[in-house]
Amino acid sequence: MNRSISEIAGSLPKSVELQAVAKNYGTHSVLKGIDLAIDRGEFVVMVGPSGCGKSTLLKSIAGLATLTSGRILINGRDVTHQEPGDRGIAMVFQSYALYPHMTVAENMGFGLRMVKRPRAEIDVAVERAARILRITDQLDKLPRQLSGGQRQRVAIGRAITRSPEVFLFDEPLSNLDASLRTQMRVELSGLHAELGSTMIYVTHDQVEAMTMASRIVILNSGLIEQVGAPLELYANPRNLFVAGFLGAPRMNFFQATVDAVAADTVILQVVGAEKTISFPAVDTGSLSVGETLTVGIRPEHLAPLDAPMPGRVDLPATVRLVEHLGRETILYADASPLTTIGSESGTGTFTVQVNAVVSYYHGAPIRIGFAPSSAYLFARDGRTLSPRRTAGSGGSLT
Amino acid sequence: MYPRPLAPDARMQRGVYMTIVAVILVLWLLPLIAVIATSFRSVEDILAGNYWGWPKSFAIGENYIDVFTETAMWRYILNSLIIALPTVLGVLVLSTFTGFVLSKFRFPGATLIFALFVGGNFLPHQIMMIPVRDLMVRVELYNTYFALIVFHVAFQTGFATLFMRNFIAALPGELFEAARSEGASQFQVLWHVVIPLVRPALAALAILTFTFVWNDYFWSIVLTQSDAVKPVTAGLANLKGEWMSAWNLIAAGTIIVAIPPVVMFFLMQKHFIAGLTLGAVKG
Repeated sequence: MNRSISEIAGSLPKSVELQAVAKNYGTHSVLKGIDLAIDRGEFVVMVGPSGCGKSTLLKSIAGLATLTSGRILINGRDVTHQEPGDRGIAMVFQSYALYPHMTVAENMGFGLRMVKRPRAEIDVAVERAARILRITDQLDKLPRQLSGGQRQRVAIGRAITRSPEVFLFDEPLSNLDASLRTQMRVELSGLHAELGSTMIYVTHDQVEAMTMASRIVILNSGLIEQVGAPLELYANPRNLFVAGFLGAPRMNFFQATVDAVAADTVILQVVGAEKTISFPAVDTGSLSVGETLTVGIRPEHLAPLDAPMPGRVDLPATVRLVEHLGRETILYADASPLTTIGSESGTGTFTVQVNAVVSYYHGAPIRIGFAPSSAYLFARDGRTLSPRRTAGSGGSLT
Repeated sequence: MYPRPLAPDARMQRGVYMTIVAVILVLWLLPLIAVIATSFRSVEDILAGNYWGWPKSFAIGENYIDVFTETAMWRYILNSLIIALPTVLGVLVLSTFTGFVLSKFRFPGATLIFALFVGGNFLPHQIMMIPVRDLMVRVELYNTYFALIVFHVAFQTGFATLFMRNFIAALPGELFEAARSEGASQFQVLWHVVIPLVRPALAALAILTFTFVWNDYFWSIVLTQSDAVKPVTAGLANLKGEWMSAWNLIAAGTIIVAIPPVVMFFLMQKHFIAGLTLGAVKG
């Protein structure tokens, strides 16, 4: 489905095209040259840590922030210097930004009223949007009489009413409680399928990114780190940042020094453990013996082992904490003096995700095992040295 | 939280508390009570020097009727309204524009302009007395309604701009961004989004401005001369000359003059209180 759309779109102008988009606030540069082309009908999620520039980028596309340099094209039209209202976009804000003194219907019809569309046309558009979002019975209410989820629907309805080329969402679900967020996520995906419009969605929530996006754009300090389909990014992060950013619980990282290098393998000495491990690797020509690399392993690729197993390497550790989530169990195991980097639970601690209910007492000695093929190697500059793997399989233990 | 309510069974404390409240209240209201009492007295009472005692005879009806029949009271009140209402309108319109621009637009000199608006409030009126009168004489507005209207609009707009700027700045920025991204022009944003949301502030400002202009005595006597344009504050002062010791009539006139701002306050009380707390409960 996606492929056929993109094939058709190949001959059409891109829905949104960013060319070397840069934005400075005084001497502080927030966007440092973003290039991105978005096809019609794509659902692109921009994700990144706070301050990475994702909201500024969205506002730049909307025309609410002016660029320092670069160009923005919507549907092949250069809109860099156009007013927000002339760009064919509609934006949904984090705070919903509903006009508190207008009814739901007035809120939804506001944009069309401002551009002097005939009354009948506005009514039809509002009615249609209300039907899609199932808020037809709320049309005469004021925003303050609505719940958070209903307000969110009105805000989306207001965007639909304008039938824009591109929908822009600025963290629209972050003010909702967890269960409502899940529900709205599903509804938004459904809405995208129903309308088929281009949607650009900014969030800091990687679950939203993974579940809704046709493509994820990972931003970090004003630059794109990687763009790709969710599972592709998960399986083949281009660098250490992307690997650490996607995935919850977070990927475990520890350091190791190069012992020996071959064409498609490196043998590493784990820092802080008496262990050498052989990892598959690409682009090994740049490595030299004694160099420090970072090894990353996702929590689901680690498993507690009772006894050594062939094909697995294992590290001795002690259990610090066990979290039972029902279907799965998260173990926090201390493998010091081996040091992990940026771990959620402290230096030396590995996060292990087990898809079963397991119990350990505090301080229990275990061995955490993994297949070297499931691990990721990162060079000193952060680039990934592990060979490509198929998206979706991810080199699991089984 | 303080003050804590007194326990219902603490009779002693309650008694002391109520007494203190009563004493303060009486002290506070004493001038007003004196004026009201005087407006009830007959001329004989006042001539006899009975200012504070129980009136020997009541002349309520006579005093309140006389102040209208024996003086140009109606004319003065009409003059005051002719001056105050356009002033209020002018101040509200201008300060909404200036407040909107100064709170939501960044342009070179914005801070300087805002500083001028605010700084104008700190000029003592007395030092402007002669230049302003001179100016009004030269532009031939002296002793007309326009002298007071123009002057009050000009000088009330300074404070009003500060007031409106702060209210508009407190509105959530995303509302403006939403309206802009929906294609609303700046004027449409002002008309359809800003004004409905700052209505409480406008109501509060209307009361403040009206009360100030209605109660103004200083500029009334500086910029007007004839009874035909004199507002009621200056007109009342005339009674002192014409009716040498008719304090009963002056008092009755004073009470009547005090009524419109009070009525206006009660009419707009709902908005006024909402206006004072608007910033605290946004969204």
